[in-house]
Amino acid sequence: MANYYDIDGILMEEEFVPVVFQKAINGVNIDESTEKGCVEQGSKTELPFWLAHELHMRQAVSISVPTCFNQKTRLEIQADAACVDLRSRCPYFYEFGCKLAPLCDKSIGLLLSYAFQIRYKEVLHKAHTTAFAAASKFLMLLTKEETYLYEAAQSSMLAFKKWRMGGPRLQRASILGRKRKPAE
Amino acid sequence: MYARKGYELVKDLANGEKGQLQPFNEDLFNQVVDQCTQHYLELQALISYGNRKMQEESVDVRETRNSDHYGALIHHLSLIRNKRCLMAYVHNRAEVIQNFAWKVGLELLELPEEIQEKLSPSEKNYFGKHSSALQSYMAEVGIDLNVGPWTDHISVTERWVIMYHYAMVALADEEGYKAYDSISRETRVYDPKSKMEQEFANWICLTKDMVPPKDPYIKVRVLDDMGEGILLSDKTANLARHSMHFLKRTDAEQYIARGLMEELTG
Repeated sequence: MANYYDIDGILMEEEFVPVVFQKAINGVNIDESTEKGCVEQGSKTELPFWLAHELHMRQAVSISVPTCFNQKTRLEIQADAACVDLRSRCPYFYEFGCKLAPLCDKSIGLLLSYAFQIRYKEVLHKAHTTAFAAASKFLMLLTKEETYLYEAAQSSMLAFKKWRMGGPRLQRASILGRKRKPAE
Repeated sequence: MYARKGYELVKDLANGEKGQLQPFNEDLFNQVVDQCTQHYLELQALISYGNRKMQEESVDVRETRNSDHYGALIHHLSLIRNKRCLMAYVHNRAEVIQNFAWKVGLELLELPEEIQEKLSPSEKNYFGKHSSALQSYMAEVGIDLNVGPWTDHISVTERWVIMYHYAMVALADEEGYKAYDSISRETRVYDPKSKMEQEFANWICLTKDMVPPKDPYIKVRVLDDMGEGILLSDKTANLARHSMHFLKRTDAEQYIARGLMEELTG
């Protein structure tokens, strides 16, 4: 398991996957619209990954490929990986894919590494060259993992510039948040 | 949906800027706890129901038992999931709060008011305990190095390494700078009672900037009204807003961290 307290880990495991129940289940209300209080064998629904994974290990459900890894996305990634809006499909595209690949479709792994190779180059390139205002449109396309990479690249570039130019060592603790505007 | 409240709580934490504090979401926090209680009750009901069924030995016992078992499992997993969300929420906030003690100030009153308002009572308690632990550790390190039995036996080189480390910190202070300057590597003999030895111990403050400065004094500009006659280590100063001063770096450091001053360079 990744870090137990990891916020991103928790959010990633909340992504939904389509499942088919292999067993009947009593006393739960998975689909809130029906209020039947039970689930029949063979019924289909979507569950968050953390639940689906545990049930899958006990052979209670079978997992199928979620929409963010479907054929349409694959084709788009093959066409031009750098321009695909992965964030709206799944903000934790890579982490989620890694967890999912052994459970339903091994070919997800290839897709991930192909997409990452191309997008990584683009992320670094943009992080070092683009001005902040122009980058915001590009940032909308990135997944959470790519955003962290982008920020890391940018902050190392800033640190390098600061080292070259020199500047004050002591600064307001960043933990206090952005500087307030001085009261008029 | 199952354990959904826990997710909302973590989401609330994630929406804030990284490494910064949001007000403690007491309302949602309690809702998660309530949801846990509910999962627990349903889990209990399913288990006791299953036990009763088993005693009655009805027709397709195994089939119903299995589906009850999976129902209980889902409630159990939801409980664990909610627990993880609650723990992560508290843990990640605690880390930020620890950082306050290291970077801003060791007393709660030293923190800006808008930060104090964001802490829950137990977090304030945690902050107080963490700073006092930090303070007592710093005091202890000083004492240890002064009277610890091992200091009598260590070699001159080792002593030099320790002194150098102290000196890095002490350089920020003019007194320390002079003392450091006067140490000669060959002639120096360790005397735990010497004034300089004790002073070095007092200078240890782990929350200070560890990089030795080029000059013990720095130029600062005051950004906010701080009141008159503030007591610094070598003088009292009238720190009006926008005024510029030439202060000891050690004095200025804490005010800069809190955003009341800025360092001027060049």
